[in-house]
Amino acid sequence: MTLNLCVLTPNRIVWDSEVKEIILSTNSGQIGVLPNHAPIATAVDIGILRIRLNDQWVTMALMGGFARIGNNKITILVNDAEKSSDIDPEEAQQTLEIAEANLSKAEGKRQLIEANLSLRRARTRVEAINMLSQ
Amino acid sequence: MAMAALRREGRRFATPLLSSPIRSSLISHSQEQAPNGVRSISTQVVRNRMKSVKNIQKITKAMKMVAASKLRAIQTRAENSRGLWQPFTALLGDSPSVNVKKSVIVTVSSDKGLCGGINSTSVKISRILHKLSSGPEKETKYVILGEKAKAQLIRDSKDDISLSITELQKNPLNYSQVSVLADDILKNVEFDALRIVFNKFHSVVQFMPTVSTVLSPEIVEREAEAGGKLGELDSYEIEGAETKGEVLQNLAEFQFSCILFNGVLENACSEQGARMSAMDSSSRNAGDMLDRLTLTYNRTRQASITTELIEIISGASALEG
Repeated sequence: MTLNLCVLTPNRIVWDSEVKEIILSTNSGQIGVLPNHAPIATAVDIGILRIRLNDQWVTMALMGGFARIGNNKITILVNDAEKSSDIDPEEAQQTLEIAEANLSKAEGKRQLIEANLSLRRARTRVEAINMLSQ
Repeated sequence: MAMAALRREGRRFATPLLSSPIRSSLISHSQEQAPNGVRSISTQVVRNRMKSVKNIQKITKAMKMVAASKLRAIQTRAENSRGLWQPFTALLGDSPSVNVKKSVIVTVSSDKGLCGGINSTSVKISRILHKLSSGPEKETKYVILGEKAKAQLIRDSKDDISLSITELQKNPLNYSQVSVLADDILKNVEFDALRIVFNKFHSVVQFMPTVSTVLSPEIVEREAEAGGKLGELDSYEIEGAETKGEVLQNLAEFQFSCILFNGVLENACSEQGARMSAMDSSSRNAGDMLDRLTLTYNRTRQASITTELIEIISGASALEG
């Protein structure tokens, strides 16, 4: 009765195992998925994925993609994913500061959009580490 | 004492030596030698040939090793990216025979040559697909990745090529580069169905040409109503955007870039594998040529020595009596 979770990125398989519950952040808010969830296909936003295995939560930063929830099988395809244990806190903080500086410097619509995206990504990574330490 | 013995030996050998063995060897090398009557010229010619063949063998052996090491590096990445398009096929199914008005054929090929027949097979399959999907009110266009397919297709289908991209492998392949490329293609080309032609890497000696189909969102809707695998799509509640159409659009774009990424990686693997086997057979061929040339060289050398000996001995015997 457990969910089977598969997180895939173009470069490698990040996660493939059975979990008890996940909390996913989509474009229209966060959704929690328990076993026997209704089938859903949804877009995944740049945000945090929380996975619960036996009362222990693992956090992962996802950089946008798709998720399909079938009968007790979840497949998440994202552009990039990082486990919070793999993120270096200082480096993430630095990336965040660089992204903020880039945003203030950005000119033109395209650069603005790109700077916004990289800022959100950097912020997600920092949040993932903060959530882990809580 | 020794010289006298040699002279005696020479007189005994003088007559038989002038018989068939020398004549046949002289005749067999008449093409390689200069005008008849001139003694030993072809050892130099044969030696030059041997040196160049040996160099070629060294080069092809080195190219084989380089291809083998590149293959090892890229093979793990290709296998990792295979898991990416499987969920899409599970969700949307693969419908190669879908009936569409505008189809675009994306041909993935290599930039460098000397890799066996993989580029020709890709071009052949692309041409067949083009023929299959042409007809009244149907339109097919090419998008070409890689120099080799461009060279072949530009000769006869120049008008049908809408976009061609070369020098993909200048920087090591990564997903962001390919997704930018996929964006470019999607923006510039109108399509109902995209067919990606590449060589799938099964093993070091086996590359199968494969076609992956990506449908545009409107066609997905149409097929979903028709039933079949895509009909099950409706059983999924779509969340994440305002309308189902928008989610399908994003899904199609993501699917295209994933499949393109996998296709490009697999094709690169096949290219290195094909180059390995081509260079291997070429080195073996060079080795065979070298063996034959060595035999020729030895025969020519012995023939020239024998001719010299004959002259000396006949000269000596003429002096004596």
